[in-house]
Amino acid sequence: MGAIITAIEYVYPKQKISNEDLSNQFPEYDFSKFEEKVGIKNRYWVQENETAFDLAKQACNELFKKINKDDIDYVLYCTQSPEYFLPTTACILQNHLGLKKNIGALDFNLGCSGFTYGLSLAKGLINSGQAKNILLVTAETYSKYLHPKDRSNRAIFGDAAAATLISFSIEEYIGEFLFGTDGAGYDKLIVKNGCSKSPFNAEVEEIEYGTDNIYSDNHLYMNGPEVFDFTNNVIPNFTKEIVLKNAMALDKIDQFVFHQANAFMLNFMRKRLKIESNSFFIDMEDGGNTVSCTIPIALKKYSQSINENENILVVGFGVGLSWCGGLIKINRKL
Amino acid sequence: MIKQDFLLRLKEELELEATLEGSVELKELDEWDSMVTMVLIGFVSNEFDVILNPDDIKEMTTIDSLMSRIGMEKFN
Repeated sequence: MGAIITAIEYVYPKQKISNEDLSNQFPEYDFSKFEEKVGIKNRYWVQENETAFDLAKQACNELFKKINKDDIDYVLYCTQSPEYFLPTTACILQNHLGLKKNIGALDFNLGCSGFTYGLSLAKGLINSGQAKNILLVTAETYSKYLHPKDRSNRAIFGDAAAATLISFSIEEYIGEFLFGTDGAGYDKLIVKNGCSKSPFNAEVEEIEYGTDNIYSDNHLYMNGPEVFDFTNNVIPNFTKEIVLKNAMALDKIDQFVFHQANAFMLNFMRKRLKIESNSFFIDMEDGGNTVSCTIPIALKKYSQSINENENILVVGFGVGLSWCGGLIKINRKL
Repeated sequence: MIKQDFLLRLKEELELEATLEGSVELKELDEWDSMVTMVLIGFVSNEFDVILNPDDIKEMTTIDSLMSRIGMEKFN
């Protein structure tokens, strides 16, 4: 008895923001260096009246061209850009998509570790006999949280949604997963205002950080150097632990698909793990860092070259601080 | 690595304009920003197997101070 990823579809918003567009906004900054190091050429942002939920619906409708929506008996919706404080966005999605009513549906609030968490939860629901076809949706619009003068984060983050179907399978395609949490780093990537602890403040002051970057407590703040340090300290060893947990060896993994955070950082970790670049997925040029959507997008892209069973190690890490990874098998083009 | 080679490599890796010497204040350089910091961490790790953390970066002033953090014995 086991679980398998049967299909993935993803969408970006229509509004494409190139590095040239950003150069026009920030003429004093050389984006060619950013492009070379961080590896991003374009990102896509929603319009003001468009939400993560709109993207989620589009991604799901793409998925329904391939699978029967009546088979879905559980919805896991991962977002930090919900439609409302309440109700749960997954409930609204059930209605909008015309899914059956006798199904489970819940939101979970995670960022870059969200997709791998979702896979692990889906596997648990299937293997415990509680569901057979789980719709895992990741939908994120960090662009709405970015300060207009926050050059660094505007260059990194893009919006997207991905819809993944995880189904019951005779054979197990989703292996062992491991988790990590360190809430001491809660404020290394945070939107402070607008929720319960501190309300949205119309009079908020602008805060300068890094080199000529500006944010406010109403906006997203990321302590880049600290997040970089956390990732490089934790993720390479965590990756080795996942390999051990699955009784595998690093050189038996066909492809490593990490959260696509920053090409330089990914290469830095790749070298520390002594992994060849052809076994390590990096593709951020078009789309940038789409938070919980980078891994399903990468899996969809990478799977286009798959003809036989491949062992793929997936690792998500970021806001929380939270990290999660595991081994999956994919045997065909998704 | 001898100091002179280190200075040349540092200039090349960080894509710096200025001619480097030990007394140059890294954070005063025109190019200094979080991305250059990231590239510096990568370079130092690859060459010397030393991982600079955010506190190291905070405390670092001149190139000489960077070299003493890396370990002067590595520049003989």
